[in-house]
Amino acid sequence: MPPTDPIIPARRRVFESVFSPASLEDFNTNRSATGPTSSSPFSSKSSSSQPRAQYTGHRRSRSSTTSQLTDPASTAHEPWHDQATWDRAWRTATRFLSVPDRELDIGALGQDIEETRLLRHFNRHTRPSKDVTAALAFLTAPLSQGGPDAAPRSIIDWYGYEIRRHFLKNFRGSLHALLNHPEEDQLLQKIVHCLQFARRIYFSPLVEYVLPLLSLGGEERAFIKLRRGFHMMVAYALPWPQFSVLLTREFARDSLTILGIDTLTEEIFEDALSVENMEIDHQYSVSYQDWRDAPSDEFRLQMMSDEGETRVTAARERLLTLLHGLQLVGLGGEKAQKVFAGVMNTMMSEFIRAAYTNQWEGPSLASSHLRHWIENVFARLVVQVLSVINVPESGQKEPGQLDVNLNDVEKWQDIGISRLGALRTSELFDVIVEWPASSGAIEDLRQFITYPAARSHLTHSFVATLNRRLLHPGASTVEILQVYISIIRSFNLLDPKGVLLDRIARPIRRYLRDRDDTVRVIVGGLLADPTDADAQASSNGDKLVELSAELTKAHQNSLRGEKGELDWDDMNWLPDPVDAAPDYRKSKTSDVIGSLISLFESKEMFVKEMQNMLADRLLQKRADYDQEMSVLELLKLRFGDNALQACEVMLRDIFDSRRVDAVVRNDQGLAREQSTVNPSTPALGAKRPAGRDIPDLHAKILSHFFWPEIQEQEFRVPGDIVQLQQRYAAGFGSLKQSRKLTWLNGLGQVTVELDLEDRVFVNEVTTWQATVIYAFQSPSGDSISLTIDDLTSQLSMSPSLVRSACLFWVSKRILIEGPRDTYRVLEVLPNEGDETAASGSADIPGTDEDGATSADAAQAAAAADAAAAAAAKESAEAAAMEKMNLYWQFIVGMLTNQGAMPLQRIVMMLKIAVPGGFPFSNEELREFLAGMVSRGKLEIVSGGSYKIVQ
Amino acid sequence: MDYAMEDTQNAAPEARESSKLSSGAQKNDTQSVTKRLQAELMQLMLSPSPGTSAFPDADGNLLSWTATITGPTETPYEGLTFKLSFTFPNNYPYAPPTVLFKTPIYHPNFDFSGRICLDILGEKWSAVYNVQSVLLSLQSLLGEPNNASPLNAQAAELWDTDKEEFKRLVLARHRDIEEIE
Repeated sequence: MPPTDPIIPARRRVFESVFSPASLEDFNTNRSATGPTSSSPFSSKSSSSQPRAQYTGHRRSRSSTTSQLTDPASTAHEPWHDQATWDRAWRTATRFLSVPDRELDIGALGQDIEETRLLRHFNRHTRPSKDVTAALAFLTAPLSQGGPDAAPRSIIDWYGYEIRRHFLKNFRGSLHALLNHPEEDQLLQKIVHCLQFARRIYFSPLVEYVLPLLSLGGEERAFIKLRRGFHMMVAYALPWPQFSVLLTREFARDSLTILGIDTLTEEIFEDALSVENMEIDHQYSVSYQDWRDAPSDEFRLQMMSDEGETRVTAARERLLTLLHGLQLVGLGGEKAQKVFAGVMNTMMSEFIRAAYTNQWEGPSLASSHLRHWIENVFARLVVQVLSVINVPESGQKEPGQLDVNLNDVEKWQDIGISRLGALRTSELFDVIVEWPASSGAIEDLRQFITYPAARSHLTHSFVATLNRRLLHPGASTVEILQVYISIIRSFNLLDPKGVLLDRIARPIRRYLRDRDDTVRVIVGGLLADPTDADAQASSNGDKLVELSAELTKAHQNSLRGEKGELDWDDMNWLPDPVDAAPDYRKSKTSDVIGSLISLFESKEMFVKEMQNMLADRLLQKRADYDQEMSVLELLKLRFGDNALQACEVMLRDIFDSRRVDAVVRNDQGLAREQSTVNPSTPALGAKRPAGRDIPDLHAKILSHFFWPEIQEQEFRVPGDIVQLQQRYAAGFGSLKQSRKLTWLNGLGQVTVELDLEDRVFVNEVTTWQATVIYAFQSPSGDSISLTIDDLTSQLSMSPSLVRSACLFWVSKRILIEGPRDTYRVLEVLPNEGDETAASGSADIPGTDEDGATSADAAQAAAAADAAAAAAAKESAEAAAMEKMNLYWQFIVGMLTNQGAMPLQRIVMMLKIAVPGGFPFSNEELREFLAGMVSRGKLEIVSGGSYKIVQ
Repeated sequence: MDYAMEDTQNAAPEARESSKLSSGAQKNDTQSVTKRLQAELMQLMLSPSPGTSAFPDADGNLLSWTATITGPTETPYEGLTFKLSFTFPNNYPYAPPTVLFKTPIYHPNFDFSGRICLDILGEKWSAVYNVQSVLLSLQSLLGEPNNASPLNAQAAELWDTDKEEFKRLVLARHRDIEEIE
């Protein structure tokens, strides 16, 4: 305690009794020389405890010397004397405590010297004189509180008003101005600084000189009261909505760094950086990728601690300092906690998004990583922050009370896990598409879907995604089925009970049922060769090759024997999830094949498609049909023997045919030339146009009843072949009585050997192609030319088919088109010059013969293909007409029995009555009916109704 | 008294149970009936027999049809067309359809409201019969009435005694269905 000059207060008292209190002496140089006090530690309550102790001692000594002022016994009985004393003391004290009105230069804050100057500026650089001290002691003495005139004035209350007045007058405006420029950097720091300064102005004299005079309890009360007043003022001066925005921004910026989220986001852009660089940089890393790659658990633990990472430490330091400041000026506490909670909430989502998006590898460590992060990084920050801003108003915290306890951390972990689940749910479609490379994501989801709300959220959002991204006309059936297969597989892992799958699958199945080609794709996939699955899986877009692999696999699984719910020894049994419907039962057909097969109500469609597919494949010339056999056997396990009876008969036909074929050929002496084995369908003739011995004829004998209808092209086969066929039929007749052979000439393969002047051509072609080339054979060896019309009438073949065959032979450079639609045999391959002339194409300079030839051939081959396609289309159209005839029967029946009907009604009735539905639109039907009207079979009566002409 | 109480208590759930069962069975029945009728319709369309035709009504459930029979040549009904209504029970084909002539007809085995006396539509019905066989039977019945069990005694008598008068009455009775409507 520095000694004070006793003369000066005495003189001052005299002076004051004459003049009213003024601020004239505010800048008493004499006093200012006593040295700066600004360095006194007022910054917090705890740090002020030491000076307080000093003043307490001082007061005691004072009361013994100036008993006149402080002795309660003497003052209590002399009111008039008290009044004057009191007034004088009041004046002295208030003048000392009052704060002059000055504008605050915010820019000057932050520099030590400037602050000292400013403090002086605000009358805060003085030490109290003896008088002042005495006056303060008098005013704060317990009995003088009431004052002689019973006025409820206390120096503390007055000081509270003074603070308020001064703050509102001088600081509020500039603070407001600051707030209105929210884009400014470091704004929050400035505000806090400014407020801290204000606090120092107001509270330093209080803490230093006034409070020590009070009794222990009163001291505490008075301080809290004033502090509360100050905090309220601050809160009033800084509108919370605006301020909270600032605070949020500040929190967010620093916590992004502290929590490591900023490095995660950067990583996405800097992935290409060199590996060494990464290893040095990411000593501290919250990246999931690094976590996964970490060699050991200890290393993982280390990764999360930020020791030595200066950037993070700095950010942490900055944030905590700021929070200290906030807390001091009353901007901390609950409001700041709320803002902080909001920020941390966002941070968690942000972290999960940044860390785990697209990280789907299995086995998944994401949830343990997340738990670890929350415990070590997230919770750590929360603890640090809360220890600053979660101080109860009473001051010190109770020692046993924790800001964050273990339950809280666990709760956060649960929140984190469910956020992770939400993220995975939103990614689920992509996860499924990537399956099985994305099994980790499914594991994450598994932890998420433990309660019904999460499950229903999952199904709802996933179904919505499916509808948006998959179940639309842009996706091919193969794609949809592929995704569906992935869904089945992944959901079986996700929820082995199948309840979720059941819900997800419904819309897909409904949609697939509406697609025309679903059955075809599935059956095609089942029959595909699994051995080329690997080769084709990526490239082949129109076959579900994996289905056949799945079929084999599923069969192996089923061999293990599944007793389902009735297996009492099943140690892995789980009850159905709570959200399962009461009557829910996992269908036995929950594997991929079963699900696909059960898509349609009846197995008939499958079996029918299976027959078609099988027919195509069995009629090909192949050494064995093992693949078909095994698929059929496997399918029989699922469909039962009866459903696939037709298919089995088809297979047996093929095997029987081999035996029968050998027997018949033997019996009829057809087997003289065994040099080339030439299996073929009943339609087949194997011909040697060059007129060597008798061609080989092999037949496949099909049981007509069990085979699907086969579209075929009718034409006349060459005479040689007809003879062979007759002999063959006779042989067959003797072998199998009461059976009759009908030759299907359109099907089959022929090995043709063409002996031309300069070359021999051997190839396997279709029967109609062989028939056409056979027609060009002349007994005399002369070259003959035939037109399309000639061939059409000669062979009773449809013109389009003839043209297709001719183009085929042109592409093989056997025939050549002379005048349009006229063909002749190209006995000698022309040289280059001839060729360009013959083919009529322009001579391209620099093209050698091979190039030109191959180009020509390719062109011709393309033309042949196109022609074949046209022929096929023609026959398909004929088939469609055939179908239309059937519909015509329906229409006749309808109109005969129900009387005249309008078009709409006819369409409606057809849709009901025709099995399999009516595939044509109203317009097509109208056209068709118009044709019938013009043919006189229908008439249109009143009201546009159609009526049968009797 | 107590027994009665117990009875009702016991009976109630059982009754409900059985009604549930039967409704399920009924639903199945309807499905199989529809399927069968669809198949029959398909067969009729693919191989129509001359002079007969049938098609479901427009009510959409396939359980009621209208059929048309043209009178066979060299009978009094030659050149006339008759409309019939078929109503199939839910347990078809295990019970016969109800067949009625909509067109007024004068015939020994059909009465004036169109009811038909034909054994296969009654006690001789069998599940192997179908719409087509019923129509063929009716068509042949037009040419050869079964006078042993007539519904129209006068017609039966006239058929044997006075063909001319019979034919006159047939033509007098016949109306085209469009005319009636």
